[in-house]
Amino acid sequence: MVAFSAARYYLLLLLLGLSWPRLAWAQELARFTISGTVRGGRGEVLPGASVAVPALNTGTAADSLGHFSLRLPAGKHQLVVAFIGYQQITRDLNLTKNQRLSFALEESGNELGEVVVEGSVTLEQKLKTTQMGVEHLSIHEAKLLPALFGEVDILKTLQLKPGVQSGGEGTSGLFVRGGSADQNLVLLDNALVYNPNHLFGLFSVFNPDAVQSVDLYKSGFPAQFGGRLSSVVDVKLREGDRQHYVATGGIGLISSRLTYEGPINKGKGSFIVSGRRTYFDIFTRALNKANEGKEDYSPIPDYYFYDLNAKANYTLGAKDQLFFTGYLGRDIFGFSSTGGFNFTFKWGNTIGTARWNHVFSPKLFVNTTASISDYQYNLTNKLDQFSFTLGSSIRDYTGRTDFEYTPNDRHLIKVGAMLTQHKFGVGRLDANSGDGRINFGADVNYYGLEGALYASDNYKASDKLQLEGGLRLTGFRSGSDQYGGLEPRASARYSLNDRTSFKLNYALMYQYVHLVTNSGATLPTDIWYPSRLSVMPQRSQQVSSGVSFLLGRGKFLLTDEVYYKWGRNQVDFKDGAQLFVNPELDAEFIFGKSWSYGNELYLEKKTGRTTGWIGYTLAWSWRNFQPQRGTTGVNNGQDFHPNYDRRHNLTVVVLHKLNARFDLTASFIYTSGNLTTLPLGRFGVQDIPGSSTGIDPRPVPIYPDRNSYRLIPYHRLDLGVVYKIGARLNQDLTLSIYNAYNRRNAYFVFFETVRDKATDRITGFRAQQVSLFPVIPSLTYNFRF
Amino acid sequence: MKRKINWLVLGGVPLLALAGCGKLQNNIDVPLPTYSAELAVECYLEPGKVPSLAVTTSVPYLSTVLPQVPTDVTVTLTMPNGTPVPLTFSPNYQALIDTTGVKFHSHIGRVPLVARPGDVFTLDVRDTQGRHATSTTTMLAPVPIDSMNYKFNDKTGAEHKAYVLTNFRDPSTPDDAYRLQLHKGDPARGVLLKRPEVDNSFEDRLLNGQEFVVGTSYRFYPGDTVTATLYHTDETYFRFRKSVSDARGANGNPFAQPSAIYGNVRGGIGIFTVLSATTATKILPK
Repeated sequence: MVAFSAARYYLLLLLLGLSWPRLAWAQELARFTISGTVRGGRGEVLPGASVAVPALNTGTAADSLGHFSLRLPAGKHQLVVAFIGYQQITRDLNLTKNQRLSFALEESGNELGEVVVEGSVTLEQKLKTTQMGVEHLSIHEAKLLPALFGEVDILKTLQLKPGVQSGGEGTSGLFVRGGSADQNLVLLDNALVYNPNHLFGLFSVFNPDAVQSVDLYKSGFPAQFGGRLSSVVDVKLREGDRQHYVATGGIGLISSRLTYEGPINKGKGSFIVSGRRTYFDIFTRALNKANEGKEDYSPIPDYYFYDLNAKANYTLGAKDQLFFTGYLGRDIFGFSSTGGFNFTFKWGNTIGTARWNHVFSPKLFVNTTASISDYQYNLTNKLDQFSFTLGSSIRDYTGRTDFEYTPNDRHLIKVGAMLTQHKFGVGRLDANSGDGRINFGADVNYYGLEGALYASDNYKASDKLQLEGGLRLTGFRSGSDQYGGLEPRASARYSLNDRTSFKLNYALMYQYVHLVTNSGATLPTDIWYPSRLSVMPQRSQQVSSGVSFLLGRGKFLLTDEVYYKWGRNQVDFKDGAQLFVNPELDAEFIFGKSWSYGNELYLEKKTGRTTGWIGYTLAWSWRNFQPQRGTTGVNNGQDFHPNYDRRHNLTVVVLHKLNARFDLTASFIYTSGNLTTLPLGRFGVQDIPGSSTGIDPRPVPIYPDRNSYRLIPYHRLDLGVVYKIGARLNQDLTLSIYNAYNRRNAYFVFFETVRDKATDRITGFRAQQVSLFPVIPSLTYNFRF
Repeated sequence: MKRKINWLVLGGVPLLALAGCGKLQNNIDVPLPTYSAELAVECYLEPGKVPSLAVTTSVPYLSTVLPQVPTDVTVTLTMPNGTPVPLTFSPNYQALIDTTGVKFHSHIGRVPLVARPGDVFTLDVRDTQGRHATSTTTMLAPVPIDSMNYKFNDKTGAEHKAYVLTNFRDPSTPDDAYRLQLHKGDPARGVLLKRPEVDNSFEDRLLNGQEFVVGTSYRFYPGDTVTATLYHTDETYFRFRKSVSDARGANGNPFAQPSAIYGNVRGGIGIFTVLSATTATKILPK
């Protein structure tokens, strides 16, 4: 028995002796995955938060949903979780198996007088990511900056980034690297937003109190995004405070906001409801009432907009979480005359999403989303018993699923699929007289089915080289017309050293739905139209490369990016095209090429008492539409610039924390003037007998070349002061001064007819320049209780 | 420090507000590139009337006001049977400044025009500088006005007004266009030459072959004589009018896309068409 035991003992020793080095080696090789979510103290997810093990010089960043996944060797590690504007967490970890961890970072106090751009990825993270041409904007950053009428607008803040142009003074349309405003994929919690503007583009639909963050992709589009050529604007709403019931809001010059948020079944979930409404109409109605009955009384039309955001999330268990998002926004413009004429114009988006997040394992999770997005406008005229209504709409039902798999610390694999059913209400017209004598209706509707499959892998080949490759297979069907294509995406980053990296990327994009507009701006009456018949999908490709330098001991990041983008099947419309309720609308399109190129320099600083950025873009955008379809094309087939082509664009943004109570901010912008089309000649049209008296007094302009005249350079300085009040600094007064030195920027130029006052005869013509906004100071009161 | 900033803020705002009290519309100098003038032709033939047309030239936008009437232009109208009819240069300059409604013409024929639906006419315009404009048009069949109806509102006094409905049926052929004018007053007193009360243009693309009912607002008084003139026009004339309207509308509208002028005059700019009209008159009861 003893001998047997001794034999076993020695055998065991022998086995152990033989296997010990192997066990030790195996243990050294054993790697486990930690995964989870990084949130703020109020339960908000923190996209971009870093989860790192400094001793191993490894780490990762939380994705747009706050998820992270990091593969580490077994053993003891010190984990550091950090995010700008939040207190860092250091946690000791003995990793013996895959672990799911969640972190809640408390906001860092301002006692040290350190100003930080909260909710931002660090400059080091930007340096190391393969992604280029991306701008991450935190709502905190946007809220500090001065704004027109004090209305914080995240899209206008994005216009201050290099490579992004505005459509015109005060408008929130984005024109990215030569693309047009309809070529931006604007997403709100994964649901498409068809018209991201209020008030003809002066304000965006995003209520800053409800928004968590915004990512703008200008190039190197990740494979999960598609459907638009030019950019991706990925807006994430806040999830609400998971610990406390909180009310926040603001009272501004033209609108007020109120947000309420709090926990659901404390610790299990949270909700947020946020509303905003303008009150021009309250003042204009009062004015109308005061002036009613006076001679020459002319009522001021009613106008207001409102939007409502709601979001809720609930944790079903360790592996499942549900999210619901809703948005409803409307612009309402109305006019009633004493003569019985009533005019109402309503437009807006309605959006709903439901997302289910399921964690299969620390290495694999999936988000499955169902969403509905609806945009419509209705224009109603009534005159006594006659009524006339005109409208159009687009409605999408979308289902998508997105898997994220981290097999090891070198690969991050994403695969997914999406399917959207579009219903295009291209035009709807009703006219009737009430007594039945006139009763006419017409509408034009189309359906479309758009699908995509994608896969991408972010591969860390070495500490110096990181590659990301993706492929997106897309297809679209409308009636019997079918289209499809492969969209390759590729990015690479090579780090020369800890402070310098080179990046290169390529992307091909298809766009299957098209905005029908023949105006130079995005208007609420614009119509969306599917690829069908002769209207082929738009396509663009872009290559860009850049170099980034971390300067000043990591305080500054200098990035220089160059890009070249070219597209085909770009759409425009025949002169005088019949765009409304036209069953043969496809015949009104004309097609052409586009190309743009430029260089973007960007210097940014995100920590310290003074933060901000300087951006400079040198860019060219071109179009060519050859003679076709019974037209002379555009410019008789000669190359021309779109009106938002601006050669130089300089922005300087400075945020300075004076002390715990005062933030001072300034933004300066200088750009080349917009291009516009001016008539070179004119001729007279008398018209037929019985149409008017004498030769027609109004000249007919002749426009030979499109966008051949450049307006004067645009420049503007905005200043802002945020003064925190209250013992807990939970209230503030925000003073914004838009156009501080009262520059008369050109909004447009036209030729005015000069008439003799006595005879009303035309005596000459002269050019007039119209400016939109003088200096506009505004004061907003914000609170958080 | 805080106090200093407060004063800065309080003092700065009114100053800045005052600075904003300037004009937002200002005269500017716009250096326009050189513009080459074209022949501008406007010719509306009417059966039973002596053919005439106005030939002018387009001019640089900021140049003199009065239309430029070239004196070296010869015009030939070719009839459906191939007969060329010269139109002589005989401008009625008085029409440029009077208010009778008579239209200016630079060239005029001698005998009234005989035209039937389907007839094809050709116009040839040339000057001594080598500019040469041509055009061809076909007369469309007139479309009869089936009826005119009216209805008064319930109001009294000066607000007691009627609307008028004009009914006609579109032929089954596609791409018809119409222009409907309603004049108020006695046609014998020349009101049909004056500015109409209502002037609408429309196409048949949504109502091809169907009945059209075109209404007005409440704008006619008891006792008014209302004359409807319905022009059956081709797509070319409709498009010309729309492009003229769009081109005018784009000057001063930052949201509008300027339109080129789409006429049917090759080698120049303008329109050549035959007016194919029917009329109906309704006298509203007192």
